[in-house]
Amino acid sequence: MLNALDIEGDSPLHRMPVRGKLVLLFSAAVGLFVVSDLRLLVPALALSAWLLLSTGIGTGQAFRRTRFVLFTVLLVAAANYVFVSPHEAAVVFCRLAALVLLAAAVTATTGISAFMDEIARLLTPLERYGFVRAADVSLAVGLVIRFVPEILSRYRDIAEAHRARGLPVRPLTTLVPLIILTLKDADTIAMAIDARGFRRH
Amino acid sequence: MSTRDIVLVALFAAIIVVLGLLPPITLGFIPVPITAQSLGVMLAGCILGARRGAAAVLLVLLLGAIGLPVFSGGRGGLAVFAGPTAGYLVGFAPGAYVCGLIAERLVKEDQAELSQFLSFLAASVVGGIAVVYLFGIPWLAYMSGKAFFGTAAASLVFLPGDLIKAFVAMLAGRAVLAGYPLLPQRA
Repeated sequence: MLNALDIEGDSPLHRMPVRGKLVLLFSAAVGLFVVSDLRLLVPALALSAWLLLSTGIGTGQAFRRTRFVLFTVLLVAAANYVFVSPHEAAVVFCRLAALVLLAAAVTATTGISAFMDEIARLLTPLERYGFVRAADVSLAVGLVIRFVPEILSRYRDIAEAHRARGLPVRPLTTLVPLIILTLKDADTIAMAIDARGFRRH
Repeated sequence: MSTRDIVLVALFAAIIVVLGLLPPITLGFIPVPITAQSLGVMLAGCILGARRGAAAVLLVLLLGAIGLPVFSGGRGGLAVFAGPTAGYLVGFAPGAYVCGLIAERLVKEDQAELSQFLSFLAASVVGGIAVVYLFGIPWLAYMSGKAFFGTAAASLVFLPGDLIKAFVAMLAGRAVLAGYPLLPQRA
């Protein structure tokens, strides 16, 4: 149901450590916003596109994943074309599209568990001051992945029950039973977690 | 947070993900399709309160950032955060927090129905719209470079849809409070 967006492979990006990729992405973001010379931005866009395709994602899949964000980038570029100048539109388009493609490349080459390990490490300083516990975050992530399909099927059941009674399926009349039914499970799930001793203090 | 709070946060995050998977609704008098995901942000604050509501939204953002397709229309990954509209997503977390804060302060279980409705509406409009726009519009303006004024103004086409969502959040928040109250016991 909730399939991760990473692609199996052995490209240089796949082998890079997660932290390295995130630092690279962040520095690229800063760099792209500092530079406004098309002679640098066009090669940067080409490099990002090449990096994304070098992950073995395939052109169609790469386009499907980024098309919505690229569409908003195009809208922003169009606004620049109308209000400022064609040159400015090209600058904004190359800058934002390069960043989006690079981010998609990082996502395509990093598995969920690798990301979670890195996040657990990033949370350790917060854990020391008692803000949040890394183990709790992993538990919550696991619970969401586990329960999304169940809640979706519960939504379908509620919509089905509406149709069986000849009622129109309205957001409000489906949402309230969906939320109450789902949250009522919290007690049993919490008891099951505590009974198994997942959260030892 | 107790185990029960963590489970509530995770279940609500899952509800927000499911809301993003439902097909968007198009209304005749509004030019843009309405997705239910930002409704989930208002509901998180109105139903779970400030801390748990914001935690549920942060969890969804985390899942999206690590590469799960949890945002409306099955989008996900870091590319969404690199796009020009990422400020709205980032604003979801403080939005849910402020929404929850207002709901916790204003809504009492022994209040008259009308004042409960108005409190939930105020919470949804301030937290779910004003705070989210406060992050979304400057971000969009910065990303659009010199045409910042045009793009910031154009993003207001989403306002009518968001007002409808605030209205739905008001009705749903009050219905859940009557059926299964969670707001009074804050985390």
